[in-house]
Amino acid sequence: MGLKCIAVVALALLAGCTTPPPPEPGSAASKVLATGPIEDLAIGPMRMARENGFLTVSTQLSNADTRNKTLYYRYLWLGPEGFPVAEAESWKSLTLYAEQTSFLPAIAPVPQAVDFRLEINTP
Amino acid sequence: MFVRLSSLALSALLIGGCAVNHSPVLGSGNISYGDPKAVELVTNEFGSTDLQMIAESMTRSLAQSGVLKGRPVVQVYDVRNKTSEYIDTRDITTSIKTQLMRSGTARFASDNTDMQSQVDQLKLQNQSGLYKKSTVAKTGNMIAARYRLEGSISSIVKRSNDYKDVFYKFSLQLIDVESGLAEWMDEKEIRKTTER
Repeated sequence: MGLKCIAVVALALLAGCTTPPPPEPGSAASKVLATGPIEDLAIGPMRMARENGFLTVSTQLSNADTRNKTLYYRYLWLGPEGFPVAEAESWKSLTLYAEQTSFLPAIAPVPQAVDFRLEINTP
Repeated sequence: MFVRLSSLALSALLIGGCAVNHSPVLGSGNISYGDPKAVELVTNEFGSTDLQMIAESMTRSLAQSGVLKGRPVVQVYDVRNKTSEYIDTRDITTSIKTQLMRSGTARFASDNTDMQSQVDQLKLQNQSGLYKKSTVAKTGNMIAARYRLEGSISSIVKRSNDYKDVFYKFSLQLIDVESGLAEWMDEKEIRKTTER
């Protein structure tokens, strides 16, 4: 019995050690750079379009917590080679009310931007 | 005597050797460089984050609106400060101009502060007789602005025993000089609350 328990605990520990698979390239998760834990925050669909030559993005963000949540975010704009094409944006503060869903809209600063990353930080 | 001097020289060398500074920093103390893009929450007066957010928001909205087709010439007017605070609104317009220039969507005519320097330089080149004729900038060739950009910033401040709430509203509009029509307009609202 004791041996079985040890085996179960060892398996659980091993499972805990395995790192989750990296997000699929091009998926919404692959566009998010979280600098720290983002518990209770669900990142939903992302809309990307080109309007009058500029890349526009909107990301759905939901607070699953029953308390208000403050977070900081900014978009990084990338060129075709995956490198930044503009100076980093300023960080912005956002308050999400309990169980609220909101959208983070953004417009690229230069027409050369073809891709983006969303950097999120929770205090 | 020789042994004593040698040991003194050796210890001086060793101490000197140990004191080599491998860090490209001079001085110490409580000074450090920070992230200029960080969210600044030192006080709830108008700050760097407000300036950056306003400039970013206005520039991108204007550039993406499609009004600025063919890189038109724009003249920037001062933003009227209708708040009770001292705000250098020229910093806001300079940031907007810089970011629009970087986006490649507009060109800017000399504004009211640059105009005197521009006129002085033209006069100097044409009237002083100091310059070679072929290199002198001719008068009457300055490009007139098609649009003018002007705006205002206002605030509502409320205080109670527990809270201080400041609400800023920044408005900017692009006006066609010939027709007088506002071709684009946007605003940015910011709320900052301090709990005492």
